[in-house]
Amino acid sequence: MSKIIKGPSTRELMEQMARESEHLSINDRRDFLRKGVVAAAGMAATTVAGSAVAAQVNPANLPPNEPTWGKQLGHGVVEYPYGSPSQFEKHVVRRTVPWLTADSIASISMTPLQDLKGIITPNGLVFERYHGGVPQVNPDEHRLIIHGLVERPIIFTMEDLMRFPSVSEIKFIECPANGGMEWKGAQMEALQFTHGMLSCCEWTGVPLKTLLEEAGVKPEGKWILAEGADGAHMSRSIPLEKALEDTLVVYAQNGEMLRPEQGYPLRLLNPGWEGNTSIKWLRRLEVGDKPWYHREETSKYTDLMPDGRARKFTFVQETNSVITSPCPENPMVKPGFVEIEGIAWSGRGKIKQVDISFDGGVSWVPAKLKGLVLDKALTRFSLVTKWDGQPWLLQSRSVDETGYVQPTLRQLREVRGGNSIYHKNSIHTWKVAPTGEVTNVQIT
Amino acid sequence: MFKSLDSKQMKKSLLAIGLGAALAFTGSIAQAGKYGIGDTATKDQIAGWDIDIRPDGKGLPAGEGTVEAGESLYEERCATCHGLFGEGEGRWPVLAGGEGTLTEERPTKTVGSYWPYASTLYDYIRRAMPFTAPRSLSDQQVYDITAYVLYLNEIIEEDFVLTKDSLASIEMPNQDNFFVDPRPDVKNVRCMKNCADPKKLKIAGTLRGITPVGHFVEGADAPAASHDAQMEQEQHKEKARKATLKGETLTSHGSAGAASLSEMALAGKATYEGACKVCHGSGLTGSPKVGDIDAWAGRIKQGMPILLDHAIKGFSGDTGVMPPKGGRVDLSDKQVEQAVSYMVESSQ
Repeated sequence: MSKIIKGPSTRELMEQMARESEHLSINDRRDFLRKGVVAAAGMAATTVAGSAVAAQVNPANLPPNEPTWGKQLGHGVVEYPYGSPSQFEKHVVRRTVPWLTADSIASISMTPLQDLKGIITPNGLVFERYHGGVPQVNPDEHRLIIHGLVERPIIFTMEDLMRFPSVSEIKFIECPANGGMEWKGAQMEALQFTHGMLSCCEWTGVPLKTLLEEAGVKPEGKWILAEGADGAHMSRSIPLEKALEDTLVVYAQNGEMLRPEQGYPLRLLNPGWEGNTSIKWLRRLEVGDKPWYHREETSKYTDLMPDGRARKFTFVQETNSVITSPCPENPMVKPGFVEIEGIAWSGRGKIKQVDISFDGGVSWVPAKLKGLVLDKALTRFSLVTKWDGQPWLLQSRSVDETGYVQPTLRQLREVRGGNSIYHKNSIHTWKVAPTGEVTNVQIT
Repeated sequence: MFKSLDSKQMKKSLLAIGLGAALAFTGSIAQAGKYGIGDTATKDQIAGWDIDIRPDGKGLPAGEGTVEAGESLYEERCATCHGLFGEGEGRWPVLAGGEGTLTEERPTKTVGSYWPYASTLYDYIRRAMPFTAPRSLSDQQVYDITAYVLYLNEIIEEDFVLTKDSLASIEMPNQDNFFVDPRPDVKNVRCMKNCADPKKLKIAGTLRGITPVGHFVEGADAPAASHDAQMEQEQHKEKARKATLKGETLTSHGSAGAASLSEMALAGKATYEGACKVCHGSGLTGSPKVGDIDAWAGRIKQGMPILLDHAIKGFSGDTGVMPPKGGRVDLSDKQVEQAVSYMVESSQ
């Protein structure tokens, strides 16, 4: 319909070249694609600057001089009644890959994992996933209805919900498409884009079990349909067992009320399960005897296998891990002491162990788990070592409390092929060059 | 934020009496709520929100949908994104075709090739479509459009009448090809030494230039980091390419700055951002993109009264369809006028 005629986008060129190079061996294919990109897009070679946002340093503010801020007064209390990060942290933001989706209203952004410390994601940096944009919901006009196969259908106000005894739990939330752009090959040049559909917060709310007991689930009730109040009216079928086990109806994150992006004033949280089941702007829970097979559990969020059949209700986010320092955004500074750091998580429970390889998975050494090790939460790991300036093929491999070991990409591809889109939790590789540059590579 | 309501508590105790009677009548074993928080939801309250449909037809309203009625509705409300034949415009979802592609390198997953149940189509159109105006279709219109999309997929014949019963009886081609998650499906072991032959490691590098990494890679020619900027970049490149072909130099068209906007236009900025930008910000569905002087010139020439009339009442043009008030019938005529002024003044 549009009269705008588009030249081939970079993506289209890439796809075309990927098709043309399918018969080549992996090494030849890589060369072909590299050369092809340069020829087709006329691109200049890129150089790593360490950080394009590297601060400009004024020697007048360095010892022995008294810096500017030591010779004047700063702003007073409540000049900023709600505080923001330092002006020098402006690069720490969510980012998206625009060609992934048709529009920003039904799209996804990624958390800047490369800049975060500890295991808690600050509220303003939690990754976003909207199917119809962020609604601005007035909490006084928001209602949650529980109905269907229950003894007493109930309508709750926010005030009602906040009267129930509350719980606060630290849980990760991850989109099942995290890493999904790399099933067929490495194509994301930054940690934020390979793993950033992932966040971890302290969530406060009421166990769904409490609310279901209040309504009284009839014996034939086996599934729950959760539905949002946004324009997408996002809906998913949740098995009753999960609802009774650990699902929360959440109104706060990291100590304050939910952000609009995260479902203000009310959302579901299914710990350890694919993020889209944690319905935001939650307005309705219907108890039924069968699943509903709605769009987001048939057309989407099902996993296509090589034989053309597809897996459904692939809820759990299996264990995964990634090294966050170094990474493409945080290259090696110089030879010598280095702390290798990263995060590991599992939708089946706690992280038991993380190992690190410097040689692409030939040999491994155990890393240390740092700080809190919690059920279905991000867990930070660390290994202090020395870098002698030689190239590394750096990997991390997590093991969760069920004994499941994070798989290799080859193992996943052997079973699932390359069309799955979701649930790619394979061991990730960063190539560290003698220059300190860190790039995303795949080892098969 | 939350007010205490004495009257509500009073109502609650009245309801509790009614509830006790209901329980006695059904002989249910369920216990009364432990906390006694929340009002009993009325049938009317539930009915207004209970929009879900199941494969067995549960939830479908009364009605009859036809392919014929669906065709014009589809062309008016759906085709701008999904294409006249369900082929999909730009990156918007493809609805039809793709049969037999599920085992291919690039499968096309459509209603016909992939979706296991026809009920999902009714449910999804009713809850979320059209994208820019969810919940704006009547149950009848949803039946008609559902029928037409099934027809586009050759799942029903032209004379098929879609009803509560007939919809639930439709068997979709891919219905039997879904199975419950069997994971864990791979078993890695925690090997520590000699886990692989270093000579056999194959290392594949990253395809460069398709991720927005300008924030840490100097000189990276990657797509811009936002959808708007991406679109702008693609359009600019296209204009530059055409200009080069003609041997011209590209003159850059800056959009009008806030300083030059009229009061009317300034007042319309918020409406534009909230209601119009989804299409007019990117040129989606054939709409004239704000700032695209060429696209707007002919339209502006028609004069404000005609532009405004089209915006308020809707209009079918050569490049696409403008629904009445862009599907946002909640907007006042004044708000639409302000938004149109904003778009016009930003595009000349």
